[in-house]
Amino acid sequence: MVNEATADDVWVALETVVDPEIPAVSVVEMGMIRSVEVGAGRASVVVLPTFTGCPAIGVIEQDVRGAVSSVPGVVEVEIRMSFDPPWTTDRITLEGRRKLKDFGLAPPTGEGPVLITEIGLPSEAICPFCGSRDTTNQSLFGPTPCRAIYHCSSCKNPFEQFKAV
Amino acid sequence: MTESLVAIVTALGDDELILGHRHAEWTGFAPHIEEDVAFSSIAQDEIGHAAAYYSIASSLTGLTRDALALGRSVDEYRHAVLCERPNSDWAYTITRQWLYDRADCLRLTALEESAHDDLRHLATKIRREERYHLIHADMWMERIAHGPIEGRTKLTQAATTVLSATAGLFEPFEREADAIGEGWLTVPSEELGRRFVGEAVDALDGLGLPAEVTPDGWRAEFVASSSGDLIATDRSGSGEASAPAGLGGRSGRHSPDFSALWADMTRTYRADPEATW
Repeated sequence: MVNEATADDVWVALETVVDPEIPAVSVVEMGMIRSVEVGAGRASVVVLPTFTGCPAIGVIEQDVRGAVSSVPGVVEVEIRMSFDPPWTTDRITLEGRRKLKDFGLAPPTGEGPVLITEIGLPSEAICPFCGSRDTTNQSLFGPTPCRAIYHCSSCKNPFEQFKAV
Repeated sequence: MTESLVAIVTALGDDELILGHRHAEWTGFAPHIEEDVAFSSIAQDEIGHAAAYYSIASSLTGLTRDALALGRSVDEYRHAVLCERPNSDWAYTITRQWLYDRADCLRLTALEESAHDDLRHLATKIRREERYHLIHADMWMERIAHGPIEGRTKLTQAATTVLSATAGLFEPFEREADAIGEGWLTVPSEELGRRFVGEAVDALDGLGLPAEVTPDGWRAEFVASSSGDLIATDRSGSGEASAPAGLGGRSGRHSPDFSALWADMTRTYRADPEATW
């Protein structure tokens, strides 16, 4: 008797895959998985890259493939990268935002879809260390394409924010 | 049918790769550390965009992205000559980033109407990321344009050189008529170029750098501002029927600057094209 893999099994496996540069948050919590389809031992997963130039994409693709392959009953895996729809920061789940903050990376602020005209405006960043809103953007660019640098005037710590996109 | 599509994504990828390579040359050498990080990050974005364009070309040709990026000879690249020019000084670098990214956003907006699904979706994604580049360039242009006369003089000199060379970004792609016919492109490059010049002159005017553009549309001359302190025009070419500089890239005619960049950029790949990384 062969176990039939289900889409739920694959989603559970994907919960273990993380962005190697933000290992606290899974690709599911980041909203990077557009769809999972499973049938007759074949699993198809569509992944939405966060930033086009993200150097972690190759590793994430490998890890997604590894996790899906390990699901009992899955014998064939298809991983597809897509920009339809474009990944946007409002796809990060509430749980994902909480984990980003605990990791020391301020989650993007604002709710709902990010309009293109709003991208990059100095957004409010809440210090992930002390919770203060008295923070200043120091640079729109940081150590990875998705991070901007801020300074907290309350606890005097520098910190990074996941850029709204 | 797909040849015209391959031509477009290859040229777009080449623009992004080669300018990205130039931006990356500021890593470790920019005026301060935030700019080291900024140009490194912008370079990473542009090279990532190139990789995404090459992915589309790869799916149509069977060539790998590495082979497309690094396995071609000098005259097989289709980027505008503007992208291969050395970084020169900070004013030139900033002016080029400012005008290039404005031009890029204009063509991305047009590509969001493409009949090719992957190209259309990619354009939407890239244009959102490019917002950060535009803000970066705007911030510096404002800072230099409203600063001391020395910086402003360098800025107007750079703008004269760069604006003329942006003509190379709007040279028609190879097989462009086919691409228009198929709907891969919805606006001819020359039409986009005309719109770009209008926008660029307005933006320069907004910075207090009023420019007159000669009838060929690509040669800017800066005029003295009302306060009379902006007299930076290099009038050496004034009055001559000058053709736009920097054409030829879209058909593989590059400057000696590119030969040097190419040799550097492809050295590791050429040492062992079959290597697995």
